[in-house]
Amino acid sequence: MSQDTTARQNLPMQPELAIGVQNLTFAYPGGPVALDHVSFEADPGESIGLVGPNGAGKTTLFLCLSGVLPVKKGSVQLAGLDPTDAAQRRALPAKAGIVFQNSDDQLFNATVFDDVAFGPLNLGYPVHEVKQRVAEALAQVGLTGFEQRVPFHLSGGEKRRVALAGVLAMRPEILFLDEPSSYLDPRSRRELIRLINNLTVTKVVAAHDLELVRETCRRVLVLDGGRIVGDGPMRTILADARLMEEHGLEVPHSLTRHVDKHHED
Amino acid sequence: MTLALDHLPYPDSLLSRLDPRWKLAALALATLSVALLHTLTAAALAMAGALLLVALAALPLQWYLYRLSGLALFLLLFVVVLPFILHDEGPSLPLGSLRLSWYGLRVAALLSLKALALLTLVLVGLTTSSLSATLKAARSLHVPGLLVQLAMLSYRYIFVLGAELSRLRIALRVRGFRNRASKHSYQTIGHVAGALLVRGYERAERVGHAMRCRGFDGRFRSLAEFRTTTADCLFFVLLVGGAALLLLIEFLG
Repeated sequence: MSQDTTARQNLPMQPELAIGVQNLTFAYPGGPVALDHVSFEADPGESIGLVGPNGAGKTTLFLCLSGVLPVKKGSVQLAGLDPTDAAQRRALPAKAGIVFQNSDDQLFNATVFDDVAFGPLNLGYPVHEVKQRVAEALAQVGLTGFEQRVPFHLSGGEKRRVALAGVLAMRPEILFLDEPSSYLDPRSRRELIRLINNLTVTKVVAAHDLELVRETCRRVLVLDGGRIVGDGPMRTILADARLMEEHGLEVPHSLTRHVDKHHED
Repeated sequence: MTLALDHLPYPDSLLSRLDPRWKLAALALATLSVALLHTLTAAALAMAGALLLVALAALPLQWYLYRLSGLALFLLLFVVVLPFILHDEGPSLPLGSLRLSWYGLRVAALLSLKALALLTLVLVGLTTSSLSATLKAARSLHVPGLLVQLAMLSYRYIFVLGAELSRLRIALRVRGFRNRASKHSYQTIGHVAGALLVRGYERAERVGHAMRCRGFDGRFRSLAEFRTTTADCLFFVLLVGGAALLLLIEFLG
């Protein structure tokens, strides 16, 4: 674990933090420990990449932070809310949103409009507010005019954007993106990166696509075996060949030392 | 993939402008009445009435006939044998070693007409209001919330699981699997069904997580707003009255 992480763990949780996680430990019933004393903090507006091999615990961490999985050991605070408290957990969807890895898990309504409106309706907003939020969210992801389209007939990239719009319509302060570039073609991936960079909320991006992490995040956490094994500035972490290799990852091509200089960056 | 409910057309029509609550209540009662019919005359009248509704709903004929033909083909597998296995004291026509009974023929026709009329009523209901409006109407008619959610998710995930099945079938085909009457084939189909069930269960769990993350608390909400007009009441009275008349014809006949 880097010195930065250790220093952060010893700090008391501050109310102005967007995300505060201390010694979060979680195990699925009958299974091994999926998260082992995970601690990190994030400031409002910060953009964090969460990288690690398959089974590292990235999705589990997101589900614990969003209150879907119960936090029994350790403490979590998101936008001032504690997911372990039932009343605060109910208020959590308005503050923190997750875009899941597979958009088909998230889209289930008959039309794009209904799907994007699902969250705001659950939050109890009046009709005009719901319509406004849906229009704004669809405009944000570049899908204005798709309102009456059937979600399951869209392309992978469009589905991903509808799923993102569904979360953006709730105007969360914190956004968790789980493998946002999976199933996307290069053009859709490029559009997604632009979209993520335009979002000013606190973001945590879990991805195997390290180039995407490089382009969207300023800080990176490395998770392996349920433990945070690296935390620091994006370039320092992603360019650390030894750290990357030790944890089943590799330095992104754009950060490798080039013998033949074939691109600028 | 094309399923019976895929590509719902939602054409603008006389019926699409009605309050979904009245429409759903009337169609549900009409459906129940059709299910209770047991004479050929009444079933034929019910089918005629259902076709009138298709015209009022301005359903695209080709779309409608395509859906109907799917059910007709399925029905054919069962009803085609009825004239040969159902017999009474009535007239029958000897066909070699078999006997074609008039009674069996009537039962086959009755079952076919009822099934086609029922599917027609369901299609009219589904295509004249958006699914969310229909589900909200169902909720306001005091259909249990759990059933409404089940209907919503079933509609959605028929397609997802259908696509999953297509992928599994392709995966089998590219590895040389052909459906034959053999132990290996049956075992493979069993494994595919098992894999589909497991994947369905896992997906259901993930969907549940995604719904909760967007504030779902078990209550169904929709933007659809309902307002009753004279036309709604008139439609209800006419359809339910027509259905009651069919039952009366049967009772008297």
